[in-house]
Amino acid sequence: MSVRRPTTFTGTDGSVTAVVDALSTMGFEGADAGPHSRSVLDTFDGRLHAAGLRLELHDDGGRALVLWSGDGSPPAHAVADVAPVWPADVPAGPLRQRIAEVTKERALLPLLEISSQRRVLRRLDRRGKAVASVEVHERLEVDGAIGAHVPAWAAEVHAVVGHEDVVELLGTRLAMLGLTPARGDLSSSLAELTGRPLGGRSSSPTVPMDAADDALASFRRVLLNLYETIEQNLPGTVDDTDPEFLHELRVAVRRTRSVLAEGRNVLPDDTRQHFREVFSEIGQVTGPPRDLDVYVLGWAEQVAGLSDADITALEAVREELERRRVAAKAELARSLRSATTAAAFEAWRSWLTDLDVVAEQPAPIGPVVAARIARAQRKVLRDGRAITPASHPERLHDLRKDAKKLRYLLECFGGLLPTKGRKAFVGQLKALQDNLGEHQDAEVQMAQLRTLAHDLRDAPGVDTDVLLAIGRLGEQLDRRRSSERAAFADRFAAYDTKPNRRALDDLLAPLAQR
Amino acid sequence: MKVVATYSIKGGVGKTSTAVNLAFEAARTGARVLVWDLDPQGAATYLFRVKPKVRGGSKRLVGADGELAAHIRGSDLSPVHVVPADFSLRHLDVHLERTKRPTERLARLLEPVERSYDLVLLDCPPSISLASESVFGAADHLLVPVVPATLASRTLAQLTTFLRDEQLPVGVLPLLSMVDQRRKLHRDLTEDLRRTWPQLLPTAIPSAAAVERMGEQRAPVGVFAPTSAATQRYRAAWGEVAAVLWPA
Repeated sequence: MSVRRPTTFTGTDGSVTAVVDALSTMGFEGADAGPHSRSVLDTFDGRLHAAGLRLELHDDGGRALVLWSGDGSPPAHAVADVAPVWPADVPAGPLRQRIAEVTKERALLPLLEISSQRRVLRRLDRRGKAVASVEVHERLEVDGAIGAHVPAWAAEVHAVVGHEDVVELLGTRLAMLGLTPARGDLSSSLAELTGRPLGGRSSSPTVPMDAADDALASFRRVLLNLYETIEQNLPGTVDDTDPEFLHELRVAVRRTRSVLAEGRNVLPDDTRQHFREVFSEIGQVTGPPRDLDVYVLGWAEQVAGLSDADITALEAVREELERRRVAAKAELARSLRSATTAAAFEAWRSWLTDLDVVAEQPAPIGPVVAARIARAQRKVLRDGRAITPASHPERLHDLRKDAKKLRYLLECFGGLLPTKGRKAFVGQLKALQDNLGEHQDAEVQMAQLRTLAHDLRDAPGVDTDVLLAIGRLGEQLDRRRSSERAAFADRFAAYDTKPNRRALDDLLAPLAQR
Repeated sequence: MKVVATYSIKGGVGKTSTAVNLAFEAARTGARVLVWDLDPQGAATYLFRVKPKVRGGSKRLVGADGELAAHIRGSDLSPVHVVPADFSLRHLDVHLERTKRPTERLARLLEPVERSYDLVLLDCPPSISLASESVFGAADHLLVPVVPATLASRTLAQLTTFLRDEQLPVGVLPLLSMVDQRRKLHRDLTEDLRRTWPQLLPTAIPSAAAVERMGEQRAPVGVFAPTSAATQRYRAAWGEVAAVLWPA
């Protein structure tokens, strides 16, 4: 079972008349043109696109959602009361489930908006059923503008299952008019013509580079790429569109700090020190709202093992956390909107793009990165091996930071390393980081819970049941923390193996030799 | 993919109207729907304006080399596809009998389209036959229209007893159909039925002129009478069925 996706013919002049005439001679008929708009909806990072799905919102007086999948299955059409931002805005049922499974915690955003005057022409069989239809779009605008690459008209041809021969014939007829189909449906073809990507924005820190490239220029390219990620995620963080904007921004800030730290003897010292302080401050203001995001969004999971009575009693705690989260987000938005932050970002972009910043004594990036990664790995191994069951939890947190630094180097300068080997090694490192991350999250959440219990002690509506439930939640978090702690030795041993260590050495050897 | 059969041992209870209107309502909430018309009368085929032609007849449709995808046709409701019926389906039992495991045959034919559709509605002829048993083997639920009539309860009991005796793991969703609230007999019988069959879906489909006009309009009521009481009831009924199929 394979449903044919629509094909599109476009033109830059008045030749639409010839197309409509050709359609008319083939028995296509339809009503007058009316206003039409459609938006391609996806998450900021293009999760639907990556899953082979295309979600569009069509509006011609009534709204409809259309979901195409790349596997040849029929499109889903749903009546939409609102432009959906979250799966809950989509009618309940399989369509909502299909979207939610892919988008998860990310909001839907319009990535491409098309408007036109549209008329729909259909060819009917003798039972009055349409066997093919063509949407003729004129006065096209893409993202609110006509633009140089926007065609004067477009004809989107829709086949009907079981009657594909009709559109074959139509294609032949249009080819006789000198027209060739553009790639894909209307949205795809207009996205391609106008150079708008439908795949969402990538937050990948990896920049292509060669080991012989200059070290300063390479560091600046990595930092510029990270800064662009910060810029892209800034509006969504300030508006709190979805929690992933803050997360992505925060990760990019941490990576920036890490790369700046590793940039000694490569980046100018005064610039490096100044911007380490700038990004340290930004890191600090983004910390509390992100911690609260993790707490609130993972609440159902947190309380899953507790009794219904405890979960009900803890609702007061969840509400308080939500209030704190809203307040922290507002504070973060104020800080990120401030003139000081704007000036700091502008200065940073200006330095990163300043063509006059060149190394006095150029040096190749390969050996620099190889030495930095080898050093970071040595620190991970040394600190990890020193941890015993009696070690203070802070030592695990330190190791977590070591592992992050190593991971960031591997990812940000990943362009120097063979992709397959690098990803395999990062996979091993990630398994260790997951354990350390879970341990640290439980630690942070226990500390937050203690503070919260103290703050709520005398709050109205907070009775003994609430405080007892907080105690039981704390015990549950402590069990989780202990379980991750108990798993640490095995996780670290799985990382600290001879083959794994050799794998990294093999990755770095070609760089170090340059 | 969920498979629901509109089924009743009794004829003239609104099976096809239910299948066609629920297909429309399911589609407008975003389900990809396939209606398989198994009734040789081809009423669902007619209402969707699809040519009543099964290429190679029911022998080719369900035979050893049968392939469902080759018989699927689009309809004017773009997310609703139809496997049409024609008169050759009167021999469906005969051709099923000749296959290896006849009671599993329809389920096997649906397997290749499993990822293409969210909902398959099997519109069944009124009977208990080999074809019905194959339907029971393919369906997750039987949606059984029940008309407020003296024998309705007995017919429903016959069906549930049969399913229990044969240990067939198919759910039964009875739905009150063709209810005329102006008639005291209908009101009384509806009350009796609700007492006897608590699993009846809350919504009752009215006996309505709009439903009768489907034949003339050749479309679901939601297309030509979108604000009618019948449309509202079918919409509500679909919501109840969907909640069973895809619990939140």
